Amino acid sequence: MASLGGSSSSSTEYIVRVPKNTSKKYSIMAFNSGDKVNCSSWTQARMERDMSNRRMYGVEETEGAAGSEFGKKQREEARRKKFGIVTREFKVEDQPWILKVNGKAGKRFKGTKKGGITENASYYIFTQCPDGAFEAFPVNGWYNFVPQAKHRTLTAEEAEEEWGRRNKVVNHFSIMLQRRLREQERGPDDDDEEGEKGGKKKKKKGGRGGDLRIHDLEDDLELSSDESDSSGGEDGDSKPKKKEGDVKGKGKKKKKKKRGSDSEANEDSDDGDFEGLEVDYMSDESSSEEEVGEEKAKSNKEAVPKGIDEASESEEESEEEKQNEEEGKEEEEEEEGKKTPVQTKKKRDSSGESDTSEDSDIDGEAASALFMKKRTPPKRGGGRGSGGSSRTGSRPGTPSIDSASTSNTLRAAASKLEQGKRQVVGGSSESPAAKRLKMESSSTAVTTQSPAPSGKSTPQPPSGKSTPSSSDVQLTEEAVRRYLIRKPMTTKDLLKKFQTKRTGLSSEQTVNVLAQILKRLNPERKNVNDKMHFYLTE
Amino acid sequence: MSEKGEVDLTGAKQNTGVWLVKVPKYLSQQWAKASGRGEVGKLRIGKNQGKAEVEFTLNEDLTMIDSLGDKPSGVQAPRDHPFTMQTVGGQTLAVFTETQSGKEQISLEGLVVQRAECRPAVSENYMKLKRLQIEELSKPVRLSQQLEKAVTTNYKPVANHSYNLEYDRKKKEEGKRARVDKQQVLDMLFSAFEKHQYYNIKDLVDITKQPVSYLKEILRDIGIYNVKGTHKNTWELKPEYRHYQGGEEEEEKETND
Repeated sequence: MASLGGSSSSSTEYIVRVPKNTSKKYSIMAFNSGDKVNCSSWTQARMERDMSNRRMYGVEETEGAAGSEFGKKQREEARRKKFGIVTREFKVEDQPWILKVNGKAGKRFKGTKKGGITENASYYIFTQCPDGAFEAFPVNGWYNFVPQAKHRTLTAEEAEEEWGRRNKVVNHFSIMLQRRLREQERGPDDDDEEGEKGGKKKKKKGGRGGDLRIHDLEDDLELSSDESDSSGGEDGDSKPKKKEGDVKGKGKKKKKKKRGSDSEANEDSDDGDFEGLEVDYMSDESSSEEEVGEEKAKSNKEAVPKGIDEASESEEESEEEKQNEEEGKEEEEEEEGKKTPVQTKKKRDSSGESDTSEDSDIDGEAASALFMKKRTPPKRGGGRGSGGSSRTGSRPGTPSIDSASTSNTLRAAASKLEQGKRQVVGGSSESPAAKRLKMESSSTAVTTQSPAPSGKSTPQPPSGKSTPSSSDVQLTEEAVRRYLIRKPMTTKDLLKKFQTKRTGLSSEQTVNVLAQILKRLNPERKNVNDKMHFYLTE
Repeated sequence: MSEKGEVDLTGAKQNTGVWLVKVPKYLSQQWAKASGRGEVGKLRIGKNQGKAEVEFTLNEDLTMIDSLGDKPSGVQAPRDHPFTMQTVGGQTLAVFTETQSGKEQISLEGLVVQRAECRPAVSENYMKLKRLQIEELSKPVRLSQQLEKAVTTNYKPVANHSYNLEYDRKKKEEGKRARVDKQQVLDMLFSAFEKHQYYNIKDLVDITKQPVSYLKEILRDIGIYNVKGTHKNTWELKPEYRHYQGGEEEEEKETND
């Protein structure tokens, strides 16, 4: 090293060496500035190649007698050559690195090779040797290391679904929860998922909102579930609405919406895709259109109702026809969520929008209640209690199941559910109140068990207690009177209220009885929207 | 071998600082020609009124540029290369090495503290070098060239191709396939079907060296012919002769005859 004197500059010279035969290969490990990686803080690190891309071509075939053909390999290869299919070789040096820092609990990074760095210019690493000279080593590869998330993320399909529902889902926390639930279902079924109730965070906001799901079958309010957004959608398996107690970890609510629908093979659905679909649902007959005046429910339907569906499918069919004719076109149906194939048969004549909110909620609830009851009766006990505040509270099934005796009839179960729901619901007021309200206003619970103030339906949110249509509806004069006092209704509306499934009467009978009642009541008439509405003033 | 995968973190702990320098291709080529200890040049770091100036000077003996082709290029690489110093930015760049031979050890050499670009000082030499490079690059990869004489060396007319002659000879020597005992054929077939389930008739003929009609007759006894499905036009053993799960047994032989 010679020192050259300069006038105002001082410089030192160093010899640069490029060592010839070094056995070491130098590579660059690049981290993102945002990750704030401090290498000196690493106590221990392991790094290996990520061999997950290695596919043993041809070994996939069963090598053996059964099912194999003579000379299959050669034939396959010849075929590939003929079509010019070139399978890229698996080069170990090009595979990504997996870097684990600080053991199992530490960070994980994946380093992907950056291509083309040696094409036009070479990078050299200059290190200073003890003797003052510089040694330059060529850089062999550049790897960009990114941290790997340990938390759960949505897959691309799920993310797309949720994106479509972004305006509807309020409780983002539930999204990942539902996903986990689903996974658990697919895995061991017997996990105790009830416990969470207590642990559930108070997600008032959207507590129930997250649980709502859009249903086609708005009519069956009591059967609609109050579940979180995981819409059962079309996945065939009815998922019990088990919640997980694993709330704690989820302090970070993922701001991702999750459509409860299964991650398996759900097609994308846009809003409005399901309009006008027919619903073949346990709910007697009329599908959603029933729910007059309900605004769009943001809730998504869940698959659970399907369980009940199957149980009571027979009842529906006949009713449906009748309801079909009678259905006014006022309501349009709008279905957001995915429905099980059974349920997605919406009536064609539905024109308006019917939100399924509460109906679906209750429906789902009942469904899930039934379902859960069948599956894990003992676990119910834990669920109770967590009043409204958390959405757990609103979790259908559990409390109801407890109270529900072994009644297997749909009605009984549904009614019990409703009871439970009402108690539970009392607390959570965050549900998209408006919707619920609307629904309530339109349908009064005429059942015996509606302690709730049916009263004047006010579009105010007493949500909780409201009287979502209850299970047992008797076609009595009293009931009709109550309806008509609340708001003017057309005959069609009234008929919808007294669904044959609930009242146990056939369509014809219902019509007759209703006609008689109306004659007796002699309500006043008024024309609204060119339709004749009846109403009573008391 | 428990060390495989374990990263040697001494470099990181000592916070060894290194420079990452981007070097032009021609320069790295010249460096590759270095001899002896690998000395390629001198690096001069100076402080000129507060600013650091770094310059690399290539050794004299390394300035000869080889060119592609026959004639010597007559171009010399420029000698002076000032370095442009850059900051690393927020990025963390670490340097790790792998030892190739035998024991594969990954070690972290250090962190990049300074980035630099080695630029050639603009000079006549450099311009010539660049021109040379451009000329070489602009040559088309494929060239159409007119030939004066037609090429006659490739395909010559032949009375009979050697391949054909061989084929005929082979055929003669093999002769027609002779039928052997049915039992033997069956043995052959069964052992063949032990290996694979589906066979083409041609392959079976090849294996058994039997005339086709004879073989077909035997096959009709013990096997079935798949016309449709994935294994089209293949023969397989009849179910009662099959025993594919859990290893082969000789029961086929029993059922035979």
